[in-house]
Amino acid sequence: MNRWHLLQKKALWSLFTIAFVIVLNFFLFRVLPGDPARAGIKDPRLTPETIEALRTRFGLDKPVINCFKTINPLVLGACDVNPLETQFVIYVKNLFLGDLGVSYYYNRPVEDILKERLWNTILLIGLGQILAILIGMAYGIFAAWKARTVIDYGALITGLIAWSLPTFWLGIILLFWGSSHGFPISGKSTPGMSSYPLMMQIGDLAKHLFLPTVTYTIVYMAEYMLIMRSSLLDVLSEDYILTAKAKGLSVFQILKDHALKNGMLPLVTVIAINLGYTVGGVIQIESVFSWPGLGGALYEAVNRTDFPMLQGAFLLIAVSVVVANFIADLTYSYLDPRVQTG
Amino acid sequence: MKKLLYLLILCALVLSACGTMSAKPPAVLRIGWAQGPDSLNIGVAWLASAYTISELTYSSMYELKLDGTLAFDLGTDVKRSDDGLIYTFTIREGVKFHDGQTLTAKDVAFTYNLVKDHEDFPTLHSYTEHFVSVEAPDDKTVVITLDEAIPNIESKLVFLYILPEHIWKDHSAGDAAATFENLEMIGSGPFKMLEYKPNEFIRLGVNKDYYGGTASLDEVIFQIFSSNDALVQSLKTGQIDLITGVPNTSVELLKADSNIKVVSGSPLSPDLADIIFNIADPANCPTDDGGLCTGHPALRDKQVRQALAYATDKQKIIDIILLGMGETGVALVPSGLGEWFNSDIKDYAFNLDTANQMLDDAGYKDTDGDGVREMPDGSQPLIFRMNWPSSDTTAPRMAELLSETWGKVGVKLQMQGMESDALTAICCPVYDYDIMLWGWVADPDPNTLLIIPTTDQIPTGYNETGYSNPKYDELYEAQGRELDHAKRVEMVHEMQAIIHEDVPYIIPYYAFAIEAHRTDRFTGWLDNETKVGLEDPSALLALKPIE
Repeated sequence: MNRWHLLQKKALWSLFTIAFVIVLNFFLFRVLPGDPARAGIKDPRLTPETIEALRTRFGLDKPVINCFKTINPLVLGACDVNPLETQFVIYVKNLFLGDLGVSYYYNRPVEDILKERLWNTILLIGLGQILAILIGMAYGIFAAWKARTVIDYGALITGLIAWSLPTFWLGIILLFWGSSHGFPISGKSTPGMSSYPLMMQIGDLAKHLFLPTVTYTIVYMAEYMLIMRSSLLDVLSEDYILTAKAKGLSVFQILKDHALKNGMLPLVTVIAINLGYTVGGVIQIESVFSWPGLGGALYEAVNRTDFPMLQGAFLLIAVSVVVANFIADLTYSYLDPRVQTG
Repeated sequence: MKKLLYLLILCALVLSACGTMSAKPPAVLRIGWAQGPDSLNIGVAWLASAYTISELTYSSMYELKLDGTLAFDLGTDVKRSDDGLIYTFTIREGVKFHDGQTLTAKDVAFTYNLVKDHEDFPTLHSYTEHFVSVEAPDDKTVVITLDEAIPNIESKLVFLYILPEHIWKDHSAGDAAATFENLEMIGSGPFKMLEYKPNEFIRLGVNKDYYGGTASLDEVIFQIFSSNDALVQSLKTGQIDLITGVPNTSVELLKADSNIKVVSGSPLSPDLADIIFNIADPANCPTDDGGLCTGHPALRDKQVRQALAYATDKQKIIDIILLGMGETGVALVPSGLGEWFNSDIKDYAFNLDTANQMLDDAGYKDTDGDGVREMPDGSQPLIFRMNWPSSDTTAPRMAELLSETWGKVGVKLQMQGMESDALTAICCPVYDYDIMLWGWVADPDPNTLLIIPTTDQIPTGYNETGYSNPKYDELYEAQGRELDHAKRVEMVHEMQAIIHEDVPYIIPYYAFAIEAHRTDRFTGWLDNETKVGLEDPSALLALKPIE
């Protein structure tokens, strides 16, 4: 099988996965108990007429799908309704038209909210990932190269400690430290900054990014460092490395030309998986630093039984995980030519 | 790589240094908030924070003052027809919206009609329940015609903020009113919207044309924190000036800071915690609405409920859960509603002996000696399911405390927190529970709380207990039509006494509002009002920056 065929096969599976998620998303959230028209709020001002009016506005007065009026509580309905008048078909149709619906809670298009939040999350995670990858890799290579020395053990211990730190706890510790050192500890900008020059706005953003990014970097850097180190140690014990050493190659050449390419494989997998999942928001870091990212939006949406938000956000996460895995597969086949034939 | 990190820190520091270099800073009050508004469109908003922002940006016919009374805001005079069906309001003249247009009676009529026509406005619509028509014969007169003489028109109008017709008329039909984001939030209140970043902050600027005086503040910022640690820390380090919802556990920490003052007392919107008993009778179960009525039969016995009331140590609950910051709950109407609260009710004083005696007398005996009483016919032990919304962090502790004292009178609890929607699903009108811990928030008028235990609210699910008492229902109807204020107060008091006697609810406490502000940047804090509401327009108007 050549690379092109492999690509086609993977792409097909990816599309199938996404289609499955689209269907699952719809039914999964409707199985959960709860009434979106009440939004989990007890309020005697909310009259039965109003609840009915809200249901109509949200389109929840229509049957979920033929034969089923609602799923939870399970109420059977007529099977001869026009499928175009069922919630499921309307949802799929709108999805194909690029319409994710209007959030029940914010009364705004889901697309707009996701865009706002996604950008914030990507900014935080992107920066954190880049730093974590660079520092983690370099640290891992260094430790593997200096294996079984004080440097290695030091790296191993700090790595293990950093990796086992609860993210939430580390965030709070950094928050207390940062707040007494002049760092802003909430949000992504100082209110009122929008009237200042662009450079100052960027500076303000950098200040706000600092603590959450450091938290993120420390935790993920440790993971990458540990994986890089152990996988490189495996590779370095291979016979061909011994051969390379015997040929009189420099350490740099051995690492660069012979060891790294093979040692990178496990790391690429982990990075790809992390990238995919973290689009869902690093909910703990976001919540400690009040970062307006996707994680917080998801949390709210679950609390409010906000179907359109939940469907939109989970679709987004599913697509990013699938795409990240797809890219990882491609990178794999580049790094390890054997994958192409497998 | 470390160098890169240092470089990054350096960059951030240099850039931040620039940020602080500017001319004389405007007087900006920064308020820390745990939750921002869900929408700036008050029609579709649910959250109290949306109302707080609206309070600052809009005018209303009446305002809720910090002494807990309602007074004219936009209105200047009102005349009621003899039959009580027609109200003729006169409003202030020369009031301007933030965009410079004049506010007239037409805007008022437009707003009331908009709310009346929109059943899908979740919290506002019920206020226009009895409105037949609203008209503006001239620029300063509003005529409201009702289908029933009601005694509380003020409380119906207080939250109906006046929207500008010239902006909203394009967004008034059908779904458009609900999806209008109203980001500019043009109103006529003391502050106007400058900038809104959802889930980040809201920036309000002073309205220099405001008829009720101009604030000394230039801006008010509400900043949203998703973690309480960050919120409290920000006040301590001076990144914010005021927290309007201080977590009880942080009070001591904040009190220890000489630059911070903690204020606690009756909230502007009083609330109550309640222990809810399922007393829905299986014989009268609302099966058409999904009713199951699986409540424990012992709880349908008033003696048992009264005994449990005697076995509830309210003061201990307050001391432990609220760290003392609350007062003993008695009636369904909280003490924060002033004259509506029946202060003559003698509460069930905590006494385990009385409780044990009552249960013994009623025939609930522990026949098998396992420490748990059984039904008089021996059919089942007094083991009750107890549930609460899992979002409520105080409820598990309350459940533990109740389990402790109720255990001493031979009652056992099976305790479990549930997601609030799941709880609603078993609550009502399904009545598939024994005891729940939940709460209510009060309107300025007691009507919204008094309606809850009426028989009519069983099928709708608002009557959580399934309580049904014709005498109470009659009084509810009567007080809703009684135009003589003193007589109405008397009826409202009697209703509370009935509920207290029959114990469908035990009200453990009315929690205090706890706010905390810094003392080094502003003076003039209204710390000693009847109600705690430092984010109220009147409180913000009183603040002066310290030079």
